[in-house]
Amino acid sequence: MKSAPLKSIGAMWTVMRKELRDIFRDRRTLILALGLSPLLTPILIIGLGTLGESRARSQSEKPLELPVVGREHAPNLMAWLEGQNVVLKAPPKNINAAIANQEEDVILRVGPDFPTQWRKSLPAPLEIIHDSTRQDAQIPVQRLQTLLAGYGGQTGSLRLLARGISPGTATAIQIRQTDLATPEAQRGKMLSFILPYFLIISAFLGGASLILDATAGERERQSLEPLLATPAPRGAIVSGKIAAACTLALVSLLLTLLAFKLGALLSPTVGRQMEVSFMAIARLVLILVPMVFIGTTLLTYLAASAKSMKEAQSHMTWLMLLPMLPTIVLIVNPVKTQMWQFAVPFLAQNQMILKVVRGEVITAQQWAIYLGAGFGLAAILWFAATRRYQQEQLAISG
Amino acid sequence: MIQLQDLHKSFTTKKTVVKAVDGVSFEARDGEITGLLGPNGAGKTTTLRMLYTLMKPDSGKVLVDGVDVADDPESARRALGVLPDARGVYKRLTARENIAYFGELHGLDAATIAQRTERLAQALNMQDFLDRRTEGFSQGQRTKTAIARALVHDPRNVILDEPTNGLDVMTTRGLREFLKQLRGEGRCVVFSSHIMQEVAALCDRIVIVARGQVVAAGTADELRALTGEENLEDAFVKAIGSEEGLHA
Repeated sequence: MKSAPLKSIGAMWTVMRKELRDIFRDRRTLILALGLSPLLTPILIIGLGTLGESRARSQSEKPLELPVVGREHAPNLMAWLEGQNVVLKAPPKNINAAIANQEEDVILRVGPDFPTQWRKSLPAPLEIIHDSTRQDAQIPVQRLQTLLAGYGGQTGSLRLLARGISPGTATAIQIRQTDLATPEAQRGKMLSFILPYFLIISAFLGGASLILDATAGERERQSLEPLLATPAPRGAIVSGKIAAACTLALVSLLLTLLAFKLGALLSPTVGRQMEVSFMAIARLVLILVPMVFIGTTLLTYLAASAKSMKEAQSHMTWLMLLPMLPTIVLIVNPVKTQMWQFAVPFLAQNQMILKVVRGEVITAQQWAIYLGAGFGLAAILWFAATRRYQQEQLAISG
Repeated sequence: MIQLQDLHKSFTTKKTVVKAVDGVSFEARDGEITGLLGPNGAGKTTTLRMLYTLMKPDSGKVLVDGVDVADDPESARRALGVLPDARGVYKRLTARENIAYFGELHGLDAATIAQRTERLAQALNMQDFLDRRTEGFSQGQRTKTAIARALVHDPRNVILDEPTNGLDVMTTRGLREFLKQLRGEGRCVVFSSHIMQEVAALCDRIVIVARGQVVAAGTADELRALTGEENLEDAFVKAIGSEEGLHA
C-alpha cells in the first residue's frame, strides 16, 4: 500500500494527464486556446505601435493644413506662416460643424480689429478653434500654438528693440525643460497601456477553456459523480484539473511571449520602443506565473459553484474586465510607485511588466513582495477551490 | 456484504424540507442479487448515494464488508463498484481509455488494467467498440462502458442505479446474464429499478421502497406470502399502496 501523499500525487498526475489528453483531442478548442493569443497579441501591439508612431511622425512633419477665417486682416502673419510649412486654406462655411464633424482639426480666426490693434502695438486678437477631446487633433493644435507663440515673441522683441529696450527686459523668466524619462520609458509610453493588459489576460484566462470544461462541463455531462465515487481524494482530483489548465495557460503564455519577441525583431519600431531581450522575456514569465495560478484557481472556484456550464461561462465577462481596472485607474489617477502596489493583484502585474519593458531595475524587495503576494493569493484560491469540491451538492448533477 | 441501518436524509429547499430517505434499513448478502424496487422519487438514488459515500446520511449507518463507511470512506469506495444514476463517459476518449482512467484512479498498474479490461470487454460483449471514441456511442454502448469502468478494480460489491434505463431488450438480457455472472463469482450485487418485472426476473431478494421508507422486503415468495397476493405485481402495488411505477 502506498502512502497517502504519494497516492494523492498519483491521482493528481492521472487526472492532469487525462484532462490534457482530452483537450489535445479537441483540436478547435485547443487552437483557440493556444493559438489565438500568440497570434493576436503581437499583431495588435506591433501594429498599434507602428501605426501610432508613423501617424505622429507624419502629423508633425507634413505641411500643416490650416483654414483661416479673416486672412485679409493679417497679411504679414499669413506670409510668415506660409514660410513655416503651413498651407493656408479657405475656411469652411460652418466652422463649428466642421470641427464637430472632424472635417478640420484646427481653425484659426483673425479678428476684424486685428489690424487696428496691431498698428497701435496693442495685443491683437487671434482665436484657435479646436476640440480638446479629440486625440488626433492634439498634434496640429500644438504645432499652431507653438508657431503663433514664436511669431508673437519675435514681433514683440523687434518692437522693444525699435524703442531702444532690450527684449530681455520683457522676459522675466526663462523656462527650460529637462525631461529625465529614460529613452526606453519615453518610447514605451504608448504601449504601456496595452501591453500589460494583453499579457495579464492571456495569463489570467489562458486556462479558462480547459478548466471550465473540466469542472462545470464535467458536471453537466454527468461524469463527475462516477469520478467522485472513485477512491481518489477530491483535493487531488481538483488539483489535477488545475494543474492541467495551468500547463495549458503557461504554454499559451510562452507562445505569446515568443511571438512577441519574434514580432519585435521584425518590426522597425517596437524593438526600439521596448526591452525585449530574452532576459526581459524570462522576467515577464516569472511575473505572469502567479497570474496563471490566480486565474485558474479563481475560475475553478467559480465554476465549481456554478449550476451549469452557461452560468460558469458568464463569469468570463467580468473576469475579462478585471485586468483592465488598474490601467483605467492609472489613467484617471496616476500614482507614484509604492511598495503596497506590488501586493495588489493586477496593479502589481501592471507595474512589474512596465518596469521590465522600460528596462527599469526591480529590487529584490519588490520581487519578494510581488511573488509572495501573488503565490499567496493563488494558494488561498486553490484551497477555496478544493474546499468547494468537498461539498456534497457538487457531485449531484441535475 | 452491505448493511444499511436506519438511514435518514432530508434536503432543505427554499420553502420546505424534503425527507428523501426516512429510515431505510436492509441487508445485501454476498452471492446474491438484491433489488431495490420503488416508484420514481421513492428515495432509491439517494439511498444508494449514501451507500457509496457521495452523501452523508443525517443519521444511520452504512457497513460495507462490516466496516462503517463513515469511518473510512476511501476503503469503502475501493470495496464498491458503482454505476451511478449519472453515467457520462468522456467522449473524446475511447472506451478503453475511459476504463483505464478509472483503473489508474484506483491505483492499478497498466498490466492489471489491460487484463481486467479484456475480461470485462468479453463479459459485456464490448470488443467491437472498445477502441472507438465514445462520442456517438449508443445508450447501450455507453452504459456498458460505464459498467466496465465501475468494475475495473474488481470490487466485491457492485451497486448499479437503474442499469437498464434506456436499454433495448437484447442489451437488457445481456446485462442480466452479466449480473448473474457477478453473483456466480460470489459478489454482492445491489441494483435499483422502478420496473417490477425486471426485479422479479433477476433478484434473489427484493427490497421495496416507497416515500423514503422500506415498505416490504424478502424473496419473491416471501413478498407474495406477506401481502397475500398470488401475483407479484399485485404484491408490489399493495406494498407501495398505489399503482405508480408500474407503467414506466
